[in-house]
Amino acid sequence: MAAGLAESATRPRYGSTLRVEMQADVRRLDPSERPTDAAEAAAKDKLETLVFERLVRLDENGRAQPALALSWEHDAAAKRWVFRLRAGVKFHDGTTLSPDKVVASLRPGGAWLASAGEGAVVIQSDLPEPDLLPDLAHPRQSIALRRDDGTLWGTGAFRPAGSETGRRLALTANEDYWGGRPFLDRITIEMGRAPRDQMLDLELGKAEFIEISPADVRTVEQRGMKVWSSAARDTIALVFERGRPAVEDPRVRQAIAFSIDCAAIHNVRLQRQGEIAGGLLPGWLSGYAFLFSKVHDPARARQLIARMEHPVPALALSYDALDPLARDIAERIAVDAREAGITIQVSTAPARSDLRLVRIRPGSLQPAAALADLAAFFHLSESVNLLPRSTHEALYHAERALLEDFRVIPLFHLPELYALSPRVKTWTQPGVSKSGEWNLEDVWIDVEKP
Amino acid sequence: MTFGVRLLVLVALTVTVSVATVTWVVSTRARRAFESLDDQRTEALISQFRREFASRGDEVVRRVEGIARSEAALRIAIELSRPGPDYSQFVNEAASLAQAHGLDFLELVSHDGAIVSSAHWPARYGYKADWVLEQADWNEAFLRSEELPNETALALMTVRTVSAGEKKLHIAGGKRLGQEFLNSLVLPAGMRALLYHNKQPGFDEKSLTGASGPVPEAGKLAPLIERVLSKGGESTETVDAREGPETVQAIPLAGREAKLLGVLLVGSSRRELASLVRRIRTAGMVAGGIGILLGVLLSYWVTARVTRPVALLAQGAQKVAAGDWSARVDVRSRDEIGELARAFNGMTQQLLEQRDRLVQAERVAAWRELARRLAHELKNPLFPIQITIENMQRAREKAPEQFDEVFRESTATLLEELANLKAIVGRFSDFAKMPPPQFETVDLNETLRRAVRLFEAQLNAPGRPPITPEVLCDDNVGSVRADPEQLHGALRNLMLNAIDAMPAGGTLTLRTRRQNGAVLLEISDTGEGLTPEERERLFTPYYTTKQNGTGLGLAIVQSVVSDHGGRISVESERGRGTTFRIELPTG
Repeated sequence: MAAGLAESATRPRYGSTLRVEMQADVRRLDPSERPTDAAEAAAKDKLETLVFERLVRLDENGRAQPALALSWEHDAAAKRWVFRLRAGVKFHDGTTLSPDKVVASLRPGGAWLASAGEGAVVIQSDLPEPDLLPDLAHPRQSIALRRDDGTLWGTGAFRPAGSETGRRLALTANEDYWGGRPFLDRITIEMGRAPRDQMLDLELGKAEFIEISPADVRTVEQRGMKVWSSAARDTIALVFERGRPAVEDPRVRQAIAFSIDCAAIHNVRLQRQGEIAGGLLPGWLSGYAFLFSKVHDPARARQLIARMEHPVPALALSYDALDPLARDIAERIAVDAREAGITIQVSTAPARSDLRLVRIRPGSLQPAAALADLAAFFHLSESVNLLPRSTHEALYHAERALLEDFRVIPLFHLPELYALSPRVKTWTQPGVSKSGEWNLEDVWIDVEKP
Repeated sequence: MTFGVRLLVLVALTVTVSVATVTWVVSTRARRAFESLDDQRTEALISQFRREFASRGDEVVRRVEGIARSEAALRIAIELSRPGPDYSQFVNEAASLAQAHGLDFLELVSHDGAIVSSAHWPARYGYKADWVLEQADWNEAFLRSEELPNETALALMTVRTVSAGEKKLHIAGGKRLGQEFLNSLVLPAGMRALLYHNKQPGFDEKSLTGASGPVPEAGKLAPLIERVLSKGGESTETVDAREGPETVQAIPLAGREAKLLGVLLVGSSRRELASLVRRIRTAGMVAGGIGILLGVLLSYWVTARVTRPVALLAQGAQKVAAGDWSARVDVRSRDEIGELARAFNGMTQQLLEQRDRLVQAERVAAWRELARRLAHELKNPLFPIQITIENMQRAREKAPEQFDEVFRESTATLLEELANLKAIVGRFSDFAKMPPPQFETVDLNETLRRAVRLFEAQLNAPGRPPITPEVLCDDNVGSVRADPEQLHGALRNLMLNAIDAMPAGGTLTLRTRRQNGAVLLEISDTGEGLTPEERERLFTPYYTTKQNGTGLGLAIVQSVVSDHGGRISVESERGRGTTFRIELPTG
């Protein structure tokens, strides 16, 4: 990231095409649709931020910053919010952004309703809406102009080229972008590319922007490529399936938690990218993650297993077949568990698994909402009752309560990592934000000095 | 059992025993030859295994040494010798090196025994592999059980060390000893090599590998493997595999410190031997079958040669027994049977000649008897006639006055004697004539009763001791087909004989009854009975025991009975009487 800023010493150039490759396969860019596949949903969010914008956006600290809304105000009870739109903003088809078009595009959540009035967008709720801004900053609240023929137009820095189909998406620069024309003329996105193919294409000069795993960071850097990363937003955790007799005994779960040598995995496989997770939320988001110590105690794990009345049957651990890093971590977990006397068979079939290795990204950058997201994902929400503005202490206790029965063992918090051609430069801001959004409108390609 | 059947069984048994003996001898010798060859092949395969094993070991040593001498290994050793080394950068090195040098197993181990990188179990980074530190100098390859994520494999391993300063990098590499290794062995047809990996106490089927993978029916080898593992020495056993019996030699495979890590099994199928023995047995059975068939044919031929003349002889003997003394046996062979047949024919010929001579003699005797009887019969009337005529001549010459009276008396006497002569001639004439019977249905009981009534006066004649008639007629006798006059005449003769046999009186018993489909007529007297000689000659013509009998009565009776298809017999006991029994066919 720092390297990206330093590149601003070179004057940016307009033109060129940025070739992006990604593993997920996004079928359609439409903010109103939410894919069930988490990887596709995350990739879709990234691509949609290039085409569509929201009223506000969140900065690296989770604070709301102006986007299409230049300013906003609310009453003391936070029940009535007024958003004043940025002037001169046009959709890609030339239609001027107006409050009524924003209202038509917003998807009300909770108790609030949006309306156009006073030359602005008014959101009214019967209940206080203190977290309205993070909600409006979510990609699902992207502002889009939907024509009768189904065509969607956004206001973002790039617009769909329209001619690309299937697994290839092309975007062109929005000449009338309110923030100024992006440096890139065009962005092509190859979807459904395997990590190995992406790496090959990057090395062969067929791509400039690819996804990488932590295990590739050293290789990429040694080969003179650049690495961009988000904050460690993704949580990798071991989840014990409910209703599986083999893991119903908490001693089994605890023994496995004690057996895993997270430090070895972090040092070797993750190449020290991200952080070892004691809790569900990463430290940069919660601020108290250091209170969750990660204990690697194989002797204690063996003791727990030795004291059990019946031998522990072989357990099945499933992981995402498309994620090589997940496979490496799963195999190491199996090795560590074996040292503790527990046999774990690693597979990619989740149907019969006793435990799963999952990678989840909370939808919100607000700690309480993020914890609630994770708790819901892990089916732990019944035991936690969080208020939106809960204190750190309350969140900590809530999170500890969530984890005390070892139903979920957080392992790592990982950033999103991207490898880039050395020719890819940024002007004023990192190409990938802390929250993982792509800021490609500020990216340019140095064609003369690769 | 006939002579032919016995001969057939004897020939079949002989052939069967002979063929079985030959089959057994051939089978035994074939088995011994096969086992000798099998031993040689097994020994050759074991030698080949040992050579291949040593060759693999040398190859492993060369490859691991190649890695140890490589710049990559030196670079890793140097990096690891620095303070606070970052192991993560080498985590994939072992896999790359193993692939480049064609090794199945490779681990890079730091000076403290920690695994820096593992090709065969990448996730084991950081774990200790202290065994590589146990020995400073690893010269040769050795057998070792290598753990993999989901199994334990048998490996030929060696260790080399790369020094960079005071710290050393240990390179432990090897090749798997399993299916691929077994495939590299050149196996003669009918042989197989198996490898058992001793992973845990007790036999485990999954630990047995063949050149094509898992071994079917592995459990059958369990006792052999367990015996080798428990005793440590080589052992051999024959097991019944699905494809036939197999001789399996088991050789223990030891790792470091003589720990038994596996067992090499060299199996030699006895299927070919079994097939050979089966073929021999089949050939034996076919030969036996053909032999038995030939035996049958031979027996038939021999039977035809031997028993047919014997059967002809038997038939000839039966004919002779039935009275056909002219029977001859047509046997032309020159053996003992032919000699016997010729003797038989000679015997029958002699019998015929003797019979002819006997008949002739009997005829002469009969003629003599006839002449004697005729002379006797004729002499009696001739003598009075001669006396009467001489009286008449003397009266004419010496007493002419009395001649007339003498003449009258003499002529009366002459006429009377001539009448006797005429009667004698008539009886002889009747016997000679004997007309054929005129058959008609005759009530036998009634005929019998009529004959008794005819003799009632004679039975009770005054001055003679009375004879009591006793008639016992069975009403179920019914009628017979007979000439009533001849039958009546026969009964009359028999009753006269009976009456004559009882001069002192007695009981004349006449009885009829049915027996075996025939009709029996018995006439019994209570007279003196007959001597055996009399009984023997009783029916001979002109034989008589009476003073005035012609000897033709019973001969006529026998002739009548015979003409009626019947049979007559006599039973007599001296002092108790005689019984004549006539058996006639029913009407």
